[in-house]
Amino acid sequence: MKFKLLFSIFAILLTSAGFAQDTKNVTGVITDSDGMPLPGAEVKVIDKEIYDVTNFDGEFTLEGVEEGDVVDINFLGFEEQQFTVGGNDQYDLVLEEASSELDEVVVVGYGTQQKQDLTGAISQVSSEDIVKQPSSTATQALQGKVAGVNITNSDAPGSSPNVSIRGLGTALGGRDPLYVVDGTPVNDIQNISPANIESIDFLKDASSAAIYGVRAANGVIIVTTKKGKEGAAKVNVRSFYGVKPVLNSVEMADAGQYITYFNEEEAAIGSNNRLNETQDYNTDWYDEILQVGTVQNTTFDISGGSEDVSYFFSYDYYEEEGVLEDQKFRRSTITSNNTFDLFDDRVKIIQNLNISVRNENQKPFGAFNNAYRQSPLMPVFYPNGRYGASRYNTTTGEATYVAGPDESIDNMTEHGNPVSQVAFANQRSNSVNIQGSIAAEFNITDELKFTSRYGARKVFNRGRNFTDTKEIWIQTDPNRTASEFESLKAQNPDNLSYVNNALSMNSSETYKYNWDNFLNYSNSFGNHNVDVTLGGSKEQLNIGMQDDYQAYEVPSQEQYWSVRHDSGEYDNQVNQYHYTPTNFMSYFGRVEYNFDRKYYFTGTLRRDGSSTFANNADYWGTFPALGAGWTLTRENFLNDSENINFLKLRASWGELGNANVPFNQNQILTDPRSENMNYVFGPGQDLILGANLGSPAQNLSWEIVSEFSAGLEYELFDRRLTGSLDYYHRTTENTILEVQPILNSTFAEEFFDHGAEVRNEGFEFSANWSDEVNEDFNYSIGGNFSYNDNEVTNVVNNYEGQLGGGLGFGGKISKRLAAGQPLGSWWMYEADGVWQNQDEIDSNTSLGSARPGHLKYVDQNDDGSIDDRDKTYQGSYIPKFNYGINISLNYKQFDLSVDGFGVGGNKVYNGLKAMRLGGENVSAEMFENRWTGDGSTNIHPGADRDIEASSYYLEDGDFFRINNMTLGYTLPEITDFISNARIYLSAQNPFIFTKYSGFNPELSGYDPTNSDAQGPYGNSGIERNAYPITSTYLIGINIGL
Amino acid sequence: MKNIYRYSLIVLSSLAILGCSEDFLEVDPRENIAEEDRDENFTPEDFVTGVYGMFTDYVYAFAYLGVTEIISDNADKGSSTTDTGGDKDVLDALTFTSSATSVNETWEHWYKTIGRANYAIAFAEEEGGENSERLIAEAKFLRAYTYFFLVRAFGDVTIQGQVEFVDGEPVVDPEVNLANRNTQEEVYEYIEQDLRDAVDVLPVKSAYAADDLGRATSGAAQALLSKVHLYQEEWSDALQHANAVINSGEYELEENYEDIWREYSENGSESIFEIQGRGEPIAHGVAQYSQTQAPRSDGTINGWGFNVPSENLVEAFDAEGDVIRRDATIIFRGETLWDGMEISNSAANPRYNEKAYSSSNLGDADGDKNIRALRLGEIYLIKAEAAAQTGDTETAMEALNVIRERVDLDPVDGLGQQELIEAIWNERRLELAFEHDRWFDLTRTGQAPEAMAEDGKEFQERHWLFPIPNNQLIQTPDMEQNPGW
Repeated sequence: MKFKLLFSIFAILLTSAGFAQDTKNVTGVITDSDGMPLPGAEVKVIDKEIYDVTNFDGEFTLEGVEEGDVVDINFLGFEEQQFTVGGNDQYDLVLEEASSELDEVVVVGYGTQQKQDLTGAISQVSSEDIVKQPSSTATQALQGKVAGVNITNSDAPGSSPNVSIRGLGTALGGRDPLYVVDGTPVNDIQNISPANIESIDFLKDASSAAIYGVRAANGVIIVTTKKGKEGAAKVNVRSFYGVKPVLNSVEMADAGQYITYFNEEEAAIGSNNRLNETQDYNTDWYDEILQVGTVQNTTFDISGGSEDVSYFFSYDYYEEEGVLEDQKFRRSTITSNNTFDLFDDRVKIIQNLNISVRNENQKPFGAFNNAYRQSPLMPVFYPNGRYGASRYNTTTGEATYVAGPDESIDNMTEHGNPVSQVAFANQRSNSVNIQGSIAAEFNITDELKFTSRYGARKVFNRGRNFTDTKEIWIQTDPNRTASEFESLKAQNPDNLSYVNNALSMNSSETYKYNWDNFLNYSNSFGNHNVDVTLGGSKEQLNIGMQDDYQAYEVPSQEQYWSVRHDSGEYDNQVNQYHYTPTNFMSYFGRVEYNFDRKYYFTGTLRRDGSSTFANNADYWGTFPALGAGWTLTRENFLNDSENINFLKLRASWGELGNANVPFNQNQILTDPRSENMNYVFGPGQDLILGANLGSPAQNLSWEIVSEFSAGLEYELFDRRLTGSLDYYHRTTENTILEVQPILNSTFAEEFFDHGAEVRNEGFEFSANWSDEVNEDFNYSIGGNFSYNDNEVTNVVNNYEGQLGGGLGFGGKISKRLAAGQPLGSWWMYEADGVWQNQDEIDSNTSLGSARPGHLKYVDQNDDGSIDDRDKTYQGSYIPKFNYGINISLNYKQFDLSVDGFGVGGNKVYNGLKAMRLGGENVSAEMFENRWTGDGSTNIHPGADRDIEASSYYLEDGDFFRINNMTLGYTLPEITDFISNARIYLSAQNPFIFTKYSGFNPELSGYDPTNSDAQGPYGNSGIERNAYPITSTYLIGINIGL
Repeated sequence: MKNIYRYSLIVLSSLAILGCSEDFLEVDPRENIAEEDRDENFTPEDFVTGVYGMFTDYVYAFAYLGVTEIISDNADKGSSTTDTGGDKDVLDALTFTSSATSVNETWEHWYKTIGRANYAIAFAEEEGGENSERLIAEAKFLRAYTYFFLVRAFGDVTIQGQVEFVDGEPVVDPEVNLANRNTQEEVYEYIEQDLRDAVDVLPVKSAYAADDLGRATSGAAQALLSKVHLYQEEWSDALQHANAVINSGEYELEENYEDIWREYSENGSESIFEIQGRGEPIAHGVAQYSQTQAPRSDGTINGWGFNVPSENLVEAFDAEGDVIRRDATIIFRGETLWDGMEISNSAANPRYNEKAYSSSNLGDADGDKNIRALRLGEIYLIKAEAAAQTGDTETAMEALNVIRERVDLDPVDGLGQQELIEAIWNERRLELAFEHDRWFDLTRTGQAPEAMAEDGKEFQERHWLFPIPNNQLIQTPDMEQNPGW
């Protein structure tokens, strides 16, 4: 079938040969409005193969043209222009600069459109905005730049941000938007170098995203990487180096304050143990574990092309060292994008290839938590070189591990040494990600184009974790010796606590591909403009497998860390399995129509099948969308308005699907590591593996998001003020919840079922004022604001009560799903003062464990006891609004830009402050405010306090941060060889304004060692093991040849 | 223009190739085995093992300690003052509420154990095959054992719907309303029926193949039946089944009391039913049972130090002059244990539970400790109590003295019926301390208010039963709460 198609195309090509006529040569010069020549402009005779590109002086020559030929001149950033060849042989033309961003081409999914023709809400950011803020993943750089897109960053090296478009509509694992990189749908863009990105388009509303119906419910982000442009080879080198100190560090109590606090706590719990007033050490643990991180990035690219072939090749090296010692992230990326125009432009082959190699040394974020809590009386090292331990002599009150006869030792805190925790962590991971696509575009006629595209991604991951069990055992307590370890090992030959070391390795590989075929038809009939897209797509994800190995006692030299070299004394453990793939099949169509670019209509229909819904084989869903637009400025009454240059109203409605649930079928569970599925039988206590049935699958289908959206685009005052205003109302009608079965029912596993409705309603506003004051000076000031209100409604009976937000120990949790609340809403006691004395506790309703100095909790239901029924919903970690401000100035060769970003209306939980087992250090502020006895304060708890989740530790998450300040200088032309060179200084996150008492109110929940940590019922919004905010001060240079 | 149509058709038909087969969406699972493929891949034994596995869950290593021992006069919370263990402090102080996590976790875990047993039984009935009768009986024993926890702790409880295979799909009896609580009598009847079936079908301990050591036996079912009758004050039935166990010839008391908790006596002569733990790699202990109770801040062991013997228990041993059982039950701070382990003077708590102590796994997460769930010693005491209640004080004292003699205590003699019953109750306390029976004994015998007062705790009317967990009531609002909660 495919061969037949190719033949047909050849046939068309052959018939298009023309007849010879009288010809001549014409020449000309292309300049801009200031008379500067424009090199590199395309000059082309329409419908003929006559073609040239202007030289350095803007000159061109066309050979063999005839009178009456129409010549088209095209140059990026300028209005396209045409002239008809007449009697003259010389044509000098002045190109007008493209005055409106509305002429920009945006990518709409299986096609492109001019911005002014959109009926949906699509925001585009271009490469300059992406590279302005250095980052490893492009979306990190876009925080505060796009209205309606909320990006929550973590400054940890190699982290991925939380991106949500127009609010969060699902509680599932699949909350991320769909990324489409050069036509290949993927779930992240961590493998793409930001410098290689030409543009990113955010399809925000249902009508624009509907063409990706299958996975578009969380929005679609289309990434287009750079391609070569016709002309001589261009070389760009960009490089920067920066340092990353921690911003907004919390001041901890010092040794003296700690001693007071510790002793007050001991007294309050009735212990006689005290610490002496003077001690040997005063360790600031954050000083000890934190270092100034560094970041560097060098990008080299070369691009160019001839009439038939264009190429873009790039190499990018990114390296970041985190604030913990030896915490590293490195990535090399090679990109090669080529385009071939064949057969008289009838066939175009577009090939993209991206290879990215990541390499990470991971360090435990738990060290941030431990550093907060660990006693300052403990040294990093004792004078004898042993690691410090949190010990004190309860008899003498001295912070030491040494005890005389009849003296005893106890722990000041239950936490380890943060420095040794970092030093002993020896975890590496690396991955190779190969992603690419090849597309063939056949121009069947001028109006009809057929595209076939195959995209694929292969990922290899490898991880290694080495645990020096013996050394860790010895170093946990300064009294321990190696011989003690050896004797315990001899006594317990089978005990894994006494292996010398343990090595775990894991590797996985996954493959995905998609094959898309579609037709674009575009034509005009008078004022009627029609654009039709029709196609189908087939996609298979998650094809792959995973291996885990655990071995013991490998040689100490790193080069022998493999399962082969283990001692053989202990049984190795191996686990290998295949992933269940997910298949998608889709058909889609879109019709765009406009009348005189005045009235616009768009209709989109997508039909999708997903293999996920196996239980009932209800694979298919259909997702329609409609859009309409009205350009008022094309009407007579606004046609001549001087101040209103462009005004367009648009409205859309559509439905989108989300199928991001695990494979839905009754499955029998087995797990050799489970503590409750297997059992030991027989005299040798052999481990016998058992099985059980997971909760039976429910009849699931797509999550359906339906959205109504309306917006306004404007360009005012000679196009100096531009922007848009949007309103949307989106409802996930049948949100899939991870449901906990009824406690006394048969099956235990949480299962997935449609169980609620989630509503997101909001508006977005953006405005940008830019003006060119004179030749030397221009500026722009822009801002955007997004407001979103999120609410869970109509929760099915029995399905309320999904719990989450674990606080680390004591089984304490802080979040619960309920109707009428936002997703991820906090659920905890309302603190109301402090118990002043025992009498007050006895004569009032209190927690069973209350002591004076503890927080009082409100007995909401007045039943005389404080328990879960008194917990209330107290808002969500998800900001209600966020805003960005962007200012840029250019004066002569200098450029200056400032970007700010802020969020508000949310709450974050200071888990560092809240959670304690006893004896922990506190912040200096907590120390100073504390309750010290009857009447001292009725707000802040005393040194002895409980760890219940309460409103006391729930703080406003509002902040405003300067994300970026950059000052650049473009060097005057020095030689012909260098076409441009710019050096710049940049400060990222130099300032933050927040009332939050912890390190960082921006808490994505990212944890490199736990991929489930992020999410509405995970760690998002809780500061416990969170990476601190870092500032970055960097210097960079860009050179173009 | 004609061409356009022609080529469009060609292109569209190529699109059709792309999507010609619906089969593309039918993906076979690879990570887990689909239930429909169960025949070839699983045997009834696998699912019964899955039921046994529930007894090694962490719930039995922590929450269970709270609701069986810490709450009672035998034990205190332990650990450090500020580490509440979630709710162990309020269980200890009898100030817990229906949100107590330990109550919630045990309730849920017991029901999920029953759910697994129900599925395993249905599966074995459906598939048949080797040993399926025996495996069904084992699952029934485990189900009865678990319902017995529920009925003792909560009184009236829901009897979960059984599972049946309909057209190859497992279906839970749709008649059962999970908000409905069956009466205690109904639950006991259900338990007894399961146990009677198990007694009939299961082999005796010596009849099992060596590889099956640790499975429920006919003797275990009978011993449990005896205990179940004791709780219902059906004395003659209790006595009859106790006698049957004692006279079965399958069991003998260990000579030395402390030997019962040694590794070498696991599944030994006195043992009727044990929860099995393995300490060697690949280790599979009763989750962290030894770790949660091992000495805290000791330097070597580094356990969590929960569930520690109370002063009140020490006094009870001392009042009886019971040195052997005191020292076998309690680790004292500073003591050198039988295996040479020196417990540091700086350990956080004055006493620890020695019956949970593992010599070879110390503070490890997975330990080798088997939990002795039913043993012959208790059966003698059931016999004694049942006989005493029926007025047969001779038989009662004889059985009681078997137990006392082993630990070098003077035999009792010439006690009146009530005195004798109280002596037996006290004997149960000392003999079975930290074997997860004390709280149920206190509420069963009515000693609770007085005993708890002596321990300095206020036992209120509502404490006769645990509260139905608040989370259950959120899910099934129509379910009735126990009185006073």
